[in-house]
Amino acid sequence: MDDLVIRSVSRLVVPFIQLYGLYVIFYGHLSPGGGFAGGAIVASSMILYGLSFNLEAGSRKLGHDVSSFMESGGAIWYLIIGLLGILFGSNFLANRYAGVSLGTPGQLFSGGIIFFLSLGIGVKVASTMITLFYSLSGGEDSSGSNN
Amino acid sequence: MEVITKLLNNYYYFAAMILFVIGFHTMLTHSNLIKKIIGMNIMDTSIFLFFVSIGYVRGGRAPIIQEGAGYLYVNPLPSALILTGIVVAVSVTAYALSLIVKLYAHYGTMDADEIAIIRAREER
Amino acid sequence: MSLHLPVLIVVLLLAASYTVPLLDRYRRGLTLPVTILSLITAFISSLYLLYLIGVQGPFVYHLGGWPPPWGIELYIDYLAVYMLIVISSIGLLVIIYGAKDLLHEINEEVLSWYYTLYLLLMASMIGIALTNDLFNLFVFVEISAIASCGIISAKADRRCIEASIKYLILSALGSGCILLAVAMIYMITGNLNFDYVAAALPEALKLYPYNIVIALGLFVVGFGVKSALFPLHVWLPDAHSSAPSPSSAVLSGLVIKIYAVALVKLLFRVFPPQIFEAIPILDVILFLSVFAVMAGSIFAMVQDDLKRMLAYSSIAQIGYIFMGIGLFGGRALTGGLLHIFNHAMMKSMLFLAAGLIIYATGIRNLKDLKGIGVRMPWTMGAFAVGAFSMVGIPGTSGFISKWFLALGALDLNRPFYVAIILLSSLLNGIYYFPIIIDAFFGTKVDPVSEFRDVPALMLIPVLILAAGVIFFGFYPKPLLDLVNKAISF
Repeated sequence: MDDLVIRSVSRLVVPFIQLYGLYVIFYGHLSPGGGFAGGAIVASSMILYGLSFNLEAGSRKLGHDVSSFMESGGAIWYLIIGLLGILFGSNFLANRYAGVSLGTPGQLFSGGIIFFLSLGIGVKVASTMITLFYSLSGGEDSSGSNN
Repeated sequence: MEVITKLLNNYYYFAAMILFVIGFHTMLTHSNLIKKIIGMNIMDTSIFLFFVSIGYVRGGRAPIIQEGAGYLYVNPLPSALILTGIVVAVSVTAYALSLIVKLYAHYGTMDADEIAIIRAREER
Repeated sequence: MSLHLPVLIVVLLLAASYTVPLLDRYRRGLTLPVTILSLITAFISSLYLLYLIGVQGPFVYHLGGWPPPWGIELYIDYLAVYMLIVISSIGLLVIIYGAKDLLHEINEEVLSWYYTLYLLLMASMIGIALTNDLFNLFVFVEISAIASCGIISAKADRRCIEASIKYLILSALGSGCILLAVAMIYMITGNLNFDYVAAALPEALKLYPYNIVIALGLFVVGFGVKSALFPLHVWLPDAHSSAPSPSSAVLSGLVIKIYAVALVKLLFRVFPPQIFEAIPILDVILFLSVFAVMAGSIFAMVQDDLKRMLAYSSIAQIGYIFMGIGLFGGRALTGGLLHIFNHAMMKSMLFLAAGLIIYATGIRNLKDLKGIGVRMPWTMGAFAVGAFSMVGIPGTSGFISKWFLALGALDLNRPFYVAIILLSSLLNGIYYFPIIIDAFFGTKVDPVSEFRDVPALMLIPVLILAAGVIFFGFYPKPLLDLVNKAISF
């Protein structure tokens, strides 16, 4: 699929898709969207890149090591944020009850830990989607690496 | 007549149920594994449609509260739950597809009946 | 701090399962110790939770500090703790066995993924036992479905992959039914918390009886598919016989039962008792369980393959558990729930013993097992204990649960089910005893050429389980006390 038009267009579009994905992740607590939707958008940009150039170039951009680190890291990040709730004297995943400042509604840094949670989810979802795409397209061994 | 009015008033539930039956039927009767997965997705989607339509309020907006605006808001809980449901459905689909890829590499077919025939021949 | 223990067990297992792939990259030797240590911690925590609810009674845990109508609630009662102990103890013993056995059954690259999926499965099962929220239940059910398919397909064998896709498709069907049932319940009650739904349902039953009946039917079908209740069992023989032995042990021993427990929680804690008058769902379950007990045993008799026979025997044994649910008269339910632990012990032991035989000799066919008892006295001794327990010889734990089932049936004036239990025990005897007699007294047709010595690490879990079967056969009081508290809903 070595087409100049597709390559130039995707080169142009990919940064904007990623920016939009990041926007959806970061504004997950203020507008519809959040970690899963944003992560899927970011992943789709990487998949578009891999499809329009070639798969190897795509997988070089985000190696298997990095993506599996991000996959585990995203989940562990979520659990750590959850445990902080217990550390601050409330329950698992506690937000307001753990004394986290909620900020002014409508501002970017409001909603306490939700922002950080969607960040973790976004990283996890994006890397999982990318791993899934490459393992399905490349025929790489993928015995149950999704959750 | 009363039944028809009821159906027309709740057409989204009706549509969801029809989709559910289509998906269920596809999943159980087709021997092609890819079609089975498509059926599974139709079934899941119908349940999501059903669930989301429970929380829908006619004319409602996304429930981001704005002071003093006086809008009508939809129930956010079903949508939030369905997002989780979609994640689950995506991972089941991806896992099933990767299994089918492997199965195709081993048997050279994606048809459950043909695989059963190959296996029966092997065991004899 | 100790009140956070239930959620910490789930978090610990999840964290361990996500750490294992990272460790695989940097410190491969640590993957197994992390897995085993986290399961040991889970087991000790479960025992401590048992002590804790003994002191202060059942308690709830609110995730995020949100009280019930809004937040997810965990409910830690005797039933949950009973399942926690069953899951963590059997899970621990099986993975200790699996440490050596898996090396020859699956590729080294996917070994750490196996541990990940195994821990995920344990975490999700513990979650099912603890949760008090309908949607949370669905999520844990789905995680456990994917993880249990994953530990079947970890073996790069075409039969395993075929079995796991069959399992995945049918279990997705079950999940769809469960989710639709949850949607029906949410539609009429507006709540997902078990207690709130239970409070709203008696009133709703008058207004929307069809929704509740449909939801109940969908729950029974969904969990029935997943726990292989008789006509919905078609996936089980392939999945449980082709999987690696530790997977078979966990799937047959734990996974199919946790869905039965979820159904018990829903039937007796959420749905109002009046519903059983509107629709005879318990009689349907009872009817199917009778078929399961008979058909499972009859199918098991005609099998040649050792693990396939054990898999069909699981269908019969899950029938006893559902019989206990269907009879629902004090002692019958005690027997059914007791059978969860007893069958978990004996079936995982039988699968592990079968795995040992396959590991040592490579034999799977029942006819080739003649004289194996002389070569492997400990393994076949444990197998014999498990088989006696399956048949229900007094002095083994299987006898106790069948005894209570029979007593419960007599309490309810239904002697027909006592006859069924006796008949199926006879059928169990017909296919288990020839194996043991052949193994110890049969003359070898041709001597086994290749024979590997069994590592002690693999034999010890089997022997512990065998000792457990005999111990709880002679001294079932602690278990009985626990189960009797568990069924006081």
